[in-house]
Amino acid sequence: MKFAVRLSVLGLAFVALFSVLGLRLWFVQVAEGPAIARAAEEQTWIQKTAHAPRGEIFDREGRTLATSRFVPAVVIDRTFVQPDEKDTLIQRISALLGMPASEIEHAYEEAGINGRFQVATVSNDVAYQVSEQLDQLPGVEIAKVPERVYLSGPTLAHVIGHLGLPNQADLEEIPDLDPTLRIGKLGVERVYDEFLQGTSGVLEYRVRRGEIIDQRPSVEPVPGHSIQLTLDLQLQQLVELALEDGIALSNSEKEKNRAEGEDVFNETQRAAAVVLDVNTFDVLALASFPDFDPQLFVTGIDEDTFAALNDSRAFNNLAVSGQYPPASTFKAITYTVFEEENLPFPAEIEGVDPATREVNCDGQLVLPNLADGSPQEKNDWYFPRDLGWMNIHGALENSCNIFFWNIGLGTWQAYQGEPRETVLQDWAKSLGYGAETGVDLANEAQGVVPTRALFEEWAELQRQNPDIRLLDSSRLDLASPFLGGDLMDFAIGQGAFVATPLQVAVSYAALANGGSVMEPRVVERILDPSGDLVEEVGTRLVRSIPISEETRRALLQDLNRVVTSGTASSAFEDFGEGLDQVGGKTGTGQSSANRDNHAWFVGVAPIDNPQYVVAVVIEEGGSGGGIAAPVARRILQALMGNELTPIDFGQEAD
Amino acid sequence: MTVRTRLREVAVVRRDNHSDRILLGTMLALSGFGLLMIFSATRATGTFSMERQMIFVAAGLIIYMLASNIDYREYRVIVPIVSVVTLLLLLAVFLFDPINNVRRWIPLGFFNFQPAEFAKVVVIVVLAGLLAPASRDDYEGPRTLSWKKVGQAMAIVVIPGVLIYRQPDLGTTLVFGFILVSMLFVSGATWRQMVTILIGTVAGVVAVFQFDLLNDYQMNRLRTLFDPNIDPQGLGYQLAQSKNAIGSGQIFGKGVLREGTLTYFEYVPEQENDFIFTAVGEQLGFVGGVLVLAAFAVIVWRLLVIAANARDRFGALIASGVAAMIMFHVMVNVGMTIGIMPVTGLPLPFLSQGGSFYMAMTLALGIANSVWLLRTPVPGQNQLT
Repeated sequence: MKFAVRLSVLGLAFVALFSVLGLRLWFVQVAEGPAIARAAEEQTWIQKTAHAPRGEIFDREGRTLATSRFVPAVVIDRTFVQPDEKDTLIQRISALLGMPASEIEHAYEEAGINGRFQVATVSNDVAYQVSEQLDQLPGVEIAKVPERVYLSGPTLAHVIGHLGLPNQADLEEIPDLDPTLRIGKLGVERVYDEFLQGTSGVLEYRVRRGEIIDQRPSVEPVPGHSIQLTLDLQLQQLVELALEDGIALSNSEKEKNRAEGEDVFNETQRAAAVVLDVNTFDVLALASFPDFDPQLFVTGIDEDTFAALNDSRAFNNLAVSGQYPPASTFKAITYTVFEEENLPFPAEIEGVDPATREVNCDGQLVLPNLADGSPQEKNDWYFPRDLGWMNIHGALENSCNIFFWNIGLGTWQAYQGEPRETVLQDWAKSLGYGAETGVDLANEAQGVVPTRALFEEWAELQRQNPDIRLLDSSRLDLASPFLGGDLMDFAIGQGAFVATPLQVAVSYAALANGGSVMEPRVVERILDPSGDLVEEVGTRLVRSIPISEETRRALLQDLNRVVTSGTASSAFEDFGEGLDQVGGKTGTGQSSANRDNHAWFVGVAPIDNPQYVVAVVIEEGGSGGGIAAPVARRILQALMGNELTPIDFGQEAD
Repeated sequence: MTVRTRLREVAVVRRDNHSDRILLGTMLALSGFGLLMIFSATRATGTFSMERQMIFVAAGLIIYMLASNIDYREYRVIVPIVSVVTLLLLLAVFLFDPINNVRRWIPLGFFNFQPAEFAKVVVIVVLAGLLAPASRDDYEGPRTLSWKKVGQAMAIVVIPGVLIYRQPDLGTTLVFGFILVSMLFVSGATWRQMVTILIGTVAGVVAVFQFDLLNDYQMNRLRTLFDPNIDPQGLGYQLAQSKNAIGSGQIFGKGVLREGTLTYFEYVPEQENDFIFTAVGEQLGFVGGVLVLAAFAVIVWRLLVIAANARDRFGALIASGVAAMIMFHVMVNVGMTIGIMPVTGLPLPFLSQGGSFYMAMTLALGIANSVWLLRTPVPGQNQLT
């Protein structure tokens, strides 16, 4: 190849290189140019966000539970920090605030070039020290930032909830969320976050060489709305103390039992209680134990504290998310269905008199018709005692399982395979079991109402995936996995049946008010910052169930007999004035092996014109009559204006 | 022999001959335009940077005139001394404290001298000396290169290349490579030799990655090209802002010295140095950018014309080498600002701020101009005197 040709080839190669540059330039400036131009203009504006103070939270009497105050915070604006000043700046701030430099450095890098970030909120003293040295701290500002203050401490923690920085899931759900603004994570703080939050203010400016040279009109922050709860702080405090006393009582009883050589599995640690207004479904008190102090989250909770609280399930609101077999408390529902639907007694069972509708509560139910024809005996809780023949009223008063087993068995024998087979479950569902109550709190559990259809669904799931243990595997071989025994267990609130304390309270409220099931509410109304009404949060009627006045009155009278002469009579001995106006039902829920029984009591008052329902559950607390009834009694004493008496062991009764 | 007579001897006899006025004119236009762009990128701090660059431009033009008026053939004689001095200077940079973690400069008080910039010119001249036939006979002889010469050429480039790589300055090392390949090609390397060199280069690159010879920051620069999110606040930020500035200029640009541009707000780090093209693209748009590229194309074209008209192979190779050097700088620098080349720290000739680089570029063009002045046939002279 000649030299001139080689030069030409080189020249052509160079032309190609220039063409590549020109084409790319066309692409960047002409094809993509307009879009890039818009983004480039916008990014020169630096946004300084001023968070709005969150709205206040009041109890139903207007007592302030949560408010916001302004505290000094050290803020670094990287726009004003020259690269060579960064390390010295971080060292100085670290020394002044007593924070590890690595932590500040991390936040500094996270903020990005021209970013702003809050290093920490500080005490007035530290703020003063920093402000004295501002001329040596480029880019540092002392800002007044709003901070949440919880005035009631751990009281009401599960209803009020707590704050936290948005996590990945939150940010994905709401894309324009400010990642530096704490949002409600639990309770009312979460459910009513959009009202409480307010609107952040913003100041936009452009900076050149550390000087603001251009500014857009600023937008002031708008404080959030306030929220008035339906709950009463004083009642809540009383309920929480009563629960703690109940846990302590349970543990001391367990000590005694252990000393006497009885089986005791675990220490009692958890409990929940709900006080519901029967007519409005206002939640007057709602407690869950263990609890936590929401103030811990205001400036960021440390990992160890969080882990410890999380391990003890302190963040679970057991009143709405704890699921327990309702046990004998459910007998009030079975009672109502038996009366309203005139359910039949079983045939060929000893100790049942269909004519008088009485049952022999002698402590043992003998079932003759097992598959192999051999008789099976079911012992009642009071065995070997013999309570004698009883009608439905006595059976409720004394929590006679045999009576209610027979209701289940009679229903099964009469309606097995027909739509009416689920008459008990249908009533339970219409009274609110097996579905969320719709309360304005987060993480509500549904509970389980076992039916043939549900068991068949479970059996199918278990056949497809044997790792799922929903049912005993022997049931998979049967024609139907749901048996008569399951309906008998259901009638006494046991078996696969589980419900939350709030569901139990809702069902009792509906029975007491004549059949109106409503969505419970913890928030009464929303107010603007000056206290004017924005919105009444009304309760919603879910459904009305026809319950005859006769049955309602009879049930209320029988619930009263439970506390005067029945399974809770010991617990209510010292009730004081007006014992004739309170009623309730004990319950002792059996759960899995290696766990102690759950103690239940559901109270209603006043009997003549019901206003309150009180539901108490002490997880693995022991017997309902012994442990839960005294706790509920103290709450009912407070509601009825009686003198409070100490929480002592009642009587060993389901 | 006095210095004076020696100077007269080496000075080019002008007669009816002229400098390459297109080359000179384009160079002056780019230099003047560069001053304006440097001012636009640094005006937040006043006129200091531009004034400083004006001194370099003035010095550069003097160097250009001197180089134009020295018979380039004399360099064949002094090449060994210059090479040794250059290598010593390249070693000398390691004696001084690093600036921004690299050792590239010898501080001279009023400015930091960067020997690597001049080493590029020296390497071009040394390679030209090696590859050009030593006598008329050689010139008439076979047009192919011996393998021995290819090896020697590579050795010449590798020694300063490694020293500069250790500064570290990957960009300049790559310039050496591009100059070498271009000059070997025009001086008659066979396809087989070219392919061998290419394979060697590929093997070298593989070895560099395989044995982790690249510094972390160099690896990052390569990776950032493909994924700007790797280092969103450092290189990624620089590249993103560079593209933002250029792209937002659109067709006609936002106007020179307009307020409110990213250049005005100094959003692109190093916008007066390696990223000066962002100031061009944002303020003058696609039209301005293409005009600047066209100016470089004119310079490269003139250099190839000079090569084609050179009196001897030595001059032709010098001009081709200078063309390759400028081409590579433009390609890598502009390509970097618009996101198709990695960040290698190569400045843009005549526009980027910087003394050593500017003067090295004018020296190179001056030598090329000397080749032009002594071209053949020069008007009034016979061919190949």
